[in-house]
Amino acid sequence: MFIKIGLIGKGNVGSCFLELLKIKKNYLNKKLNLKYKVIAIYEYDGALINEKGIDIDEILLLRNNFRSHKDWKENVKAIDSISNLNLDVCIDTTPTNPNTGEPALSHIFKALNNNINVISSSKGPFYLKYKEIHDLAKLKNLLVKYEATVASNVPILSIKDSLKGNEIISIKAILNGTSNYILSRMSSEGVAFSVALKEAQELGYAEADPTLDIEGYDAAGKLVILANELFCWSKTIKEVKIKGISKITQHAIELAKSEGLIIKHLAIAEKGTLIVEPRLIEKDSPLNIEGTLNVIELQTTYSGPIIIMGRGAGGYEAGSAILNDLISIHRIINNIK
Amino acid sequence: MINLEVRIPDTPGCLIELIKPISNNGGNIFGILHHHDKKINNMIPVNISFELNEELREKKLENIKQELRKSQIQIDNINLGIEQNNFIVILTGHVFDTDVVDTIKRLALKEIKVSELEAKFTEISEVSDVKFKFNFPESFTKEDVITEINKICQEKDLILIRS
Repeated sequence: MFIKIGLIGKGNVGSCFLELLKIKKNYLNKKLNLKYKVIAIYEYDGALINEKGIDIDEILLLRNNFRSHKDWKENVKAIDSISNLNLDVCIDTTPTNPNTGEPALSHIFKALNNNINVISSSKGPFYLKYKEIHDLAKLKNLLVKYEATVASNVPILSIKDSLKGNEIISIKAILNGTSNYILSRMSSEGVAFSVALKEAQELGYAEADPTLDIEGYDAAGKLVILANELFCWSKTIKEVKIKGISKITQHAIELAKSEGLIIKHLAIAEKGTLIVEPRLIEKDSPLNIEGTLNVIELQTTYSGPIIIMGRGAGGYEAGSAILNDLISIHRIINNIK
Repeated sequence: MINLEVRIPDTPGCLIELIKPISNNGGNIFGILHHHDKKINNMIPVNISFELNEELREKKLENIKQELRKSQIQIDNINLGIEQNNFIVILTGHVFDTDVVDTIKRLALKEIKVSELEAKFTEISEVSDVKFKFNFPESFTKEDVITEINKICQEKDLILIRS
């Protein structure tokens, strides 16, 4: 039996996911018995739709010219169409409006209300309406997966399943590559904040408007999802105490260094509180990572600290996390151990 | 007495690397506790207790820390006995223009004493960064101290960077 997939968003993440589907097709079919058909690929101005299954190879060959494909239909909107296609899984990879969580939030509710399982790489819905989404999924007996929303393919949400015999006490993490890149450059090369930010923008690590990254909103959103998942909380981003790094000066970095300390933009969840702020850490702390990497330190009752690190952004990284979520859904709905 | 908590690789000769800097800096070692049962990733937690000459204590301890770091020995905690309740914060903002003496006095009234202060700024009227080392009574937790500092920071619009 085929899993029928609807993909919303054919940007970098969506395209990388399709490429991974192609690359791993044999493995999925033969080793995991996961057979799939991509029925719809939605963009803001239309959609590729073929109920027999879209030819992924053809779409990938067309790259950005996919609108010239015979399956392309102008002005079809995901929100109107996903309920008509008898989909098993809806995958949302759209960019999030940080204040409203849209359009992903509406896509997720629409899919769940129409008995479609959900995978998302869009953070907004989960740091704004975590409880509502889970309540609806539970009511409908559906699955919602979103590993890519926190640290991309670093398996930090799914680590929960591996720690059922333990107890997590606290989370300390670096969850935003842009702010970590800036602080790393300030520490290692002694450059000013403004210079490090400009570098990050030139290298494509920071957006033209870097506010969400440097003021801590992006990390706060990820922290909410992570803490809700690992601590079974139902918090929203409004409950995070957020301080950015834009006022960190070279002088502060030097003063910290003189004590063997480093300033890092930490996301912390412990004792019911959520904090994102610049903190002093020991130079030899495992949280002292360089560049755009993400790192998460879980303090546990029975195993002490558990540290996991990796690239927290990128098309293939997120695409790979989505594929993993798809495999997980396939296993659960087909009752495969 | 100083109690040092470190992690060393479970390989021959590593314990010597731990003892050497303490001995080189005139440390009188009282005891070493090797937690083989808590070995993680081939790293063994070790507690070592020693005394240093009071007058040169800070300088010697700094030398020991540096030498241990050079030997790739990870320091988890340093307990300085009576001086254990101290820590460092950096305040950023108009630390001087908002009367740094008042800040220090108000904290002292709460028994939080500044033991060291180092400042960096371009002009006294500009934003400055000031590192404070605090001592506080054993009856306080670190979070109690942070709460008191935070109150002043909010009032004076200063940014607190803490550990």
